Amino acid sequence: MTAQALDAPAGRRARRRRPIRFSTKKLVCAVLAYIVALIFLVPYAEMVVAAARPKDQLTDPTILPSHFDWSNFKTLWSTGLGRNLQVSLEVAGGATLLVLLVALPAAYYTARQQFRGRTAFLLLVLVTQMFQPTAMLVGIYKEFSSFGLTDSVFGLILVNAGFNMAFATWILNAYFSSIPVELEEAAMVDGTGRLGALLRITLPLAWPGVVTALIFTFISAWNELVIALILTTTPSKQPLTVALDSYIGGYQIDWGHLFAASAIATIPVIVLFAAIERKVVGGLTAGSIK
Amino acid sequence: MKRSFVASAAICAVAGLVLSGCGSSGNNGEAANGDITLTFLGADYGTGPADSSTAYWQKVAADFHKANPKITVKVSTINWNDYDTKVKTQLQNKDYPDILQGEFFPQYATDHLLAPLSDVMTNPDAGLAVFKDGFSVGGVQYGIPFDTSARALFYNKLAFTDAGITNPPTTWDELKTDAGKLKAKGYIGYALPLGPEEAQAESYLWMLGNGGGWQNSSGKYAINSAENIETFQFLKGLVDAGDTEPNPATYDRTADSATAFAQGKVGMESNGPFLTATIAAAGKLTTSDYAAVPMPGKTGPLTQTLGVADALQVFKGSATKLAAVKKFLDFALNDDNQLAWAKKYALLPGTQSAAAKLENDPILGAFVKALPNTVLYPSDSNWTATVLPAIKKSIGTAVTGDPSKVLGQLQDLATSGS
Amino acid sequence: MAETVTARTFSRRRSLAPLLWLGPALVLILLVVLTPVFIMLRTAFRNIDAIGFDHGWAGWRNFRQVFHEPDLHAVLLRTVWWVVAVVVITMVFSLALAALFNQTFPGRRVARWALIAPWAASVFMTAVVFRWMLQPGSGLINVLMHRFGLLDKIGDNASHADWLGRPEAAFWWMIAVAVFVSIPFTTYALLAGLQTIPPEVYEAARVDGSSTMRSYVSITLPLLRPALTVATLINIMNVFNSFPIIWEMTRGGPGDQTATTTVFMYQIKAQSIPEAAAMSVVNFGFVIVIVLVFLKASRWKEQVS
Repeated sequence: MTAQALDAPAGRRARRRRPIRFSTKKLVCAVLAYIVALIFLVPYAEMVVAAARPKDQLTDPTILPSHFDWSNFKTLWSTGLGRNLQVSLEVAGGATLLVLLVALPAAYYTARQQFRGRTAFLLLVLVTQMFQPTAMLVGIYKEFSSFGLTDSVFGLILVNAGFNMAFATWILNAYFSSIPVELEEAAMVDGTGRLGALLRITLPLAWPGVVTALIFTFISAWNELVIALILTTTPSKQPLTVALDSYIGGYQIDWGHLFAASAIATIPVIVLFAAIERKVVGGLTAGSIK
Repeated sequence: MKRSFVASAAICAVAGLVLSGCGSSGNNGEAANGDITLTFLGADYGTGPADSSTAYWQKVAADFHKANPKITVKVSTINWNDYDTKVKTQLQNKDYPDILQGEFFPQYATDHLLAPLSDVMTNPDAGLAVFKDGFSVGGVQYGIPFDTSARALFYNKLAFTDAGITNPPTTWDELKTDAGKLKAKGYIGYALPLGPEEAQAESYLWMLGNGGGWQNSSGKYAINSAENIETFQFLKGLVDAGDTEPNPATYDRTADSATAFAQGKVGMESNGPFLTATIAAAGKLTTSDYAAVPMPGKTGPLTQTLGVADALQVFKGSATKLAAVKKFLDFALNDDNQLAWAKKYALLPGTQSAAAKLENDPILGAFVKALPNTVLYPSDSNWTATVLPAIKKSIGTAVTGDPSKVLGQLQDLATSGS
Repeated sequence: MAETVTARTFSRRRSLAPLLWLGPALVLILLVVLTPVFIMLRTAFRNIDAIGFDHGWAGWRNFRQVFHEPDLHAVLLRTVWWVVAVVVITMVFSLALAALFNQTFPGRRVARWALIAPWAASVFMTAVVFRWMLQPGSGLINVLMHRFGLLDKIGDNASHADWLGRPEAAFWWMIAVAVFVSIPFTTYALLAGLQTIPPEVYEAARVDGSSTMRSYVSITLPLLRPALTVATLINIMNVFNSFPIIWEMTRGGPGDQTATTTVFMYQIKAQSIPEAAAMSVVNFGFVIVIVLVFLKASRWKEQVS
């Protein structure tokens, strides 16, 4: 295992040095991939186009309007959307941090130790993933209002962390299990404690798993709507999803602002992903060094 | 084994804590120095943060606080689409606001949770008389109409000219003929929103045109009466002929028919005054491009249309608190505030005096005049709890399936509980 | 003396150690997930009226009501159909896409970013935008289909273009949207799996003279199995619990003809709170059965040990 791992980077480096050949296969792959990418972007491009349609062309049967009107994107900010954006960032960021703090030790321990209740714990975690939050709204409201955690960023952090911990624990557990325990033991022989070995040896190797868990948690907390609707009432304490939902009013729907705000809401996630994706890919290749 | 016991004990402990510790937080909003805080929970009639009802109520509360520095009103509102879920969740947890605006829940009065209106308003008869019975339980009025609406037939004059129609229809047959002509020009002849949003309103308007309704003259449910079945058979004929949008059961008022009308794609539809706000926001039709007339009936226009009112209701509290509420309601329901609200959302006022001032309004006037003579939804508790959700969910399938079967099932449901 | 103390603290530490490492996770699960679940379970056995007043113990009455719902049978069948269709189609597409995006080609990174868009956007908004694009008179999908001659006529009263109004067509479109939003995560999970396969394995196969297709089936798929199993499992649970797609696109209508059990539960909630709680319990049992069937079929135990 170790011997093979040592060969791998050398082999890859050798391949990488080869000049790019424009083979037919590469061309076909590229074209196919671009088409797929395009298909996946269409709904979100349409979101932007619909937001930029001049009012009187909102439902014209055309692919693009005769001209674009970007005023919806500008008028959004005067209504406090910036504040909602901030709440969303706090909630998603806080939930991600909390999930990592809670899931990392649990995943590490279950991956490294055999103990009574290990399987039970992993199954319990899995089971939490099977509940539909919409079915539990009354209970969640009851509990959080009795703790005074309505209209609170901390309350939303707790809920989102609770519902996303399962996935993070499982994926981290899988990654930790795939890292040979010998590496850690070697470090511990050198005088590093268990925690030190975890932080210095294991965690860097499990990085792709950490990043995947992080992205997953961030995105799902960022997009959570149903519970935030129940737990928040003050506009300045509401995350972006709830603010978005208000454009679908009881008497009118403000399609232009709805789509403009949605487009804006997806940008931070794409930026986060773009910033971190290189690390995922880098980490993923590192993960193959077993 | 031991651990799982500890775990389940812990679960029970926490759950028990939550179950017992819930409810009122102990603070009833009255401070020792005589300051009072009232909580107000209302529906949000706006579209997006820019015209949210929170802003309206915050201004009213601030103005009120200036005149009454001892009383603070804490305002929160909920999007109408989430109103039901959130209010029920909150009230189910015994988390009552002092003042609740929006739907009137007769059960709260039956369960002795509401204060009689005479305790919380100086003039409990200020509201429009037609809505009084609907907001009363056992002869005592518990809610005051805060805002109201009446329905009419909106038609697009440009579309009518396009299709060569000179006068709006007054009977079902005329409506069918006109819808056919409009359809030939590519319009939706008559937009029929029987989707879950407000199928009860659309259905009712048609039932009224044939002398039917949800209940018969003695107040018993008669959803599958011969008149109603005939009404839905007529509607089924309209749908089959392509005179409406193709699938009414999934077609909603706000998302579909109002949007389409405002974009000039609909010939006729029934709607409330608030449609004028949607049309103005869309910027496609001017006020002279459309008009509203009484809804056609089978043989002639409706003499009584559907009226809808949203209520203000007050939960019981100490005498000091109710006195504060009384001051606030007197202020919140003054004509200036009522008219500001009506203008803001193109709705009608709930009080007689404010309504009188709007009778000559170029847009809302005609609707205001129809108000005193409107008919209302049933007001028994079975309606809101059981019948209404079932109507919303399934009555739209009557125009594509078998009307007598669908209406029969609803009738069974309405009469089984009582 | 010193020795025994160390031994004792050690053994005590050993028995307490799991709690130390797992404690925070257990507390979070207990507080956020299990307590509301407990309240839900309790609600399912109470007699609670439409506005939330509790009139005492109801025994199994709420469950009997659920099982007497005339449409329950159809909804359950539709849910199985929904889960199987969405998960199978998602897995097939994701396998193909993961293989494609694992190749090197210019612009691969940008193409990968595009792929995550449905994951980054909220499912709720994706559903709203698809509903918008399927509007019979002006939706982009209909406009494009019309231009390419796939649709005879568009317009607000064109019945063929009103996909979401017809239960069968609507259901297929919603399956498509569910697949669309499930693909990014699944593809990335499989991509991660693919990249852990050492290239040497393929080189060995190439020396043997295996074709690309054969080496894919005989080498890649077996090595991908752990990733496939986990991705499928997560998809099954997510798709089963999926609520916003159907709710935003059809509200489960007309009637409940496009509702899955999750949406059906929400529809029931408008009429009876405890019956909806009972339906949630039924849902939970149902998803466990589906997961167990899957785990048995995929011989998960063998893989783990």
